[in-house]
Amino acid sequence: MKRATKNMVRFAHRFWRGLREWCGDAAYERYLRSSAAQSDGCQRLTAEEFYVQQLNRRYSRPNRCC
Amino acid sequence: MVAVLGAGALGKIAFDRGESLNAMWFVIAAVCCYLVAYRLYSAFLAARLLALDDTRATPSERNDDGRDFVPTNKWVLFGHHFAAIAGPGPLVGPTLAAQFGYLPGTLWLIAGAAFAGCVQDFIILFCSIRRDGKSIGQMAREEVSKRGGFIAQLAVLAIMVILLGVVALVVVNALKSSPWATFTLAMTIPIALLVGLYLRFVRPGRVLEASLMGVGLIFFVVVAGQWVADSPSWAQVFTLGGVPLAFAIMVYAFAASALPVWLLLAPRDYLSAFIKAGAIFALAAGILFVRPHVLMPPLTRFIDGSGPVFAGKIFPFCFITIACGAISGFHSLISSGTTPKMILRESHARFIGYGAMLLESFVGVMAMVAACAMTPGVYFAINSPPSIVGATPDAAAATISGWGFPLTAQTMAGLAHAVGEQTLWNRAGGAPSLAVGMAQIFSNTIGGERLLSIWYHFAIMFEALFILTVLDAGTRVGRFMVQELGGRVWKPFARTGWMPSVLLSSAIIVGMWGYFLYQGVVDPLGGINSLWPLFGISNQLLAAVALVVATTILLKMGRTRWIWVTLLPMAWLVIITMTASYQKIFDTNPRIGFLAYANALAAQLAAGKIPAGKLVDTQRLIFNQRLDAAVTAVLALMVIVLIVEALVQWYAILSSSRRAPALHESPYVQTQWAPGYSGVAQGDD
Repeated sequence: MKRATKNMVRFAHRFWRGLREWCGDAAYERYLRSSAAQSDGCQRLTAEEFYVQQLNRRYSRPNRCC
Repeated sequence: MVAVLGAGALGKIAFDRGESLNAMWFVIAAVCCYLVAYRLYSAFLAARLLALDDTRATPSERNDDGRDFVPTNKWVLFGHHFAAIAGPGPLVGPTLAAQFGYLPGTLWLIAGAAFAGCVQDFIILFCSIRRDGKSIGQMAREEVSKRGGFIAQLAVLAIMVILLGVVALVVVNALKSSPWATFTLAMTIPIALLVGLYLRFVRPGRVLEASLMGVGLIFFVVVAGQWVADSPSWAQVFTLGGVPLAFAIMVYAFAASALPVWLLLAPRDYLSAFIKAGAIFALAAGILFVRPHVLMPPLTRFIDGSGPVFAGKIFPFCFITIACGAISGFHSLISSGTTPKMILRESHARFIGYGAMLLESFVGVMAMVAACAMTPGVYFAINSPPSIVGATPDAAAATISGWGFPLTAQTMAGLAHAVGEQTLWNRAGGAPSLAVGMAQIFSNTIGGERLLSIWYHFAIMFEALFILTVLDAGTRVGRFMVQELGGRVWKPFARTGWMPSVLLSSAIIVGMWGYFLYQGVVDPLGGINSLWPLFGISNQLLAAVALVVATTILLKMGRTRWIWVTLLPMAWLVIITMTASYQKIFDTNPRIGFLAYANALAAQLAAGKIPAGKLVDTQRLIFNQRLDAAVTAVLALMVIVLIVEALVQWYAILSSSRRAPALHESPYVQTQWAPGYSGVAQGDD
């Protein structure tokens, strides 16, 4: 029983994380972990700047199909 | 075991001639075929043809910048890729093709996906991964020829224009004279603006919470739409004809393209993605729960080309009507766009490229089931134009009953009342009939007859919402293409942030697809009859372009022995698109051939048979038919030129007397990731 609960919690945790990754909710956290954001030469973007820049890039190429 | 079960189910749907067939046979046949295709054929492609190499660093590892190049878990990327490729096509195409009966469309959906669509998506994804995420146009330029690249770029713009015009027509036909549906869809705009402002200024980037809030509001406006429809004064405000709706959609798309992307376009896309995923899951669950009976016969009399929904024989028109769901050239843009920049390992390309397309094919099969589960007479009543079936309900019911599909005017009036519409006659485009099918499945699962109208308008909102998402995102991308092409003539025009250029290019692209939309709205044959085949031809021609590029790359890789993998689907696509193009231009039946229709109208005009009030409309109609013929001819010609270019390349590769052209792959770099790395950062798990 305890094991089943633990597995369910683990599954729910993974599902939640996957959902956040899929919809872009975790994009800024991922950016902060990336080597580009951690390199000294680059100025780190704020959450707002990152969000707007990311959208402008995404919607400048085909990203939705028929 | 799975193969035997699949073969049995396929046999059942192919040879059963009973009164009706349970939809579960479709689900079993499709799922078993997909499992066998994935387990065997995609494994063969991965191991023998492409030799996927997990020791090779992918673009996301080499160029990881946390923005474009992001190493992504394969399940998450599968979701991204599927959300990108699955648009209205796999829902609308099979619904329209149901006029031939359930069998041809279902077989093409399953076989087309396994042997053509999935192959195209998988191989183009692989090719793009090996080239740092280059687009299909760039790969065509490098691997085929410069002219080939330019043709691919023009083909993409052409298909974009036709696609946007056609899907906008589907929305217009779904909203026409429906205050409930029009109100619901109109309200999604302020909801999207609200979500956009929240995501920009209140909690930047918190997509999940903002989207859930927006989805909740959308559910509320679906219900509130009934109050609007019941109010005589408000119902009048939201009851619009085809032409005003067409112009409203053009104005919306222009605004979405020119406004900052965070304000309207992106939040709509978030809302649409959540509702799309939810509705597709709900449809699958509903079919499994209700297990409806398919009432449409396996083959109808309309395989002879006399179909009321669109004219043309089963060959080639079934294969161009169902593009997305079987094979769609547009997917090659996604497979050579975002996905290759995010893939973690080469081996994931099999699951994402091949697997996501199988899932889209399954969506197409579900749409076919939903369309065929309604009474055939109702299906034809919704999708047939009055010029074919008759202008009055009684006349139309008599015509449809005469085809062997019993129907009364009272049945249609009762159904329209049950779903909260004024009428369901002449609602061509596939969306309303699919919505009726979905609503019947949903209401049999939850709520019964009482909730039929709510489910119908939920289904209409779901279809219209993500069609508009394709429309605004496509208009914006089309705007960039126009700016890029215009920049070759006058450099400042290419500056994407320069407002005069933004406004002018947005107006140009909206004007281009808006013209096709307008001609569809005013077409007496219903618009879909002319425009959907045109869209199917252009989409399949783009798929042929992608397969030409893939064949060239495989030949350069020395995979001559396995070249039939891409060559056969390419040859099939060239045969069906060229046959369909020829028939659409030159067929002597005015309902099929653009020129025959134009000539018939011109003859009536010359004989003085057109009333004075319709002279201008008729002249415009003649021009439109000739324009459609010219567009079809240009598209076909572009692909012929590209094939000739490719044949020269192939000869050079295969001929030992000449030096083989070089392969433009990125150099091999060994991965630094451990074999078990799955894209999960430390501390996440």
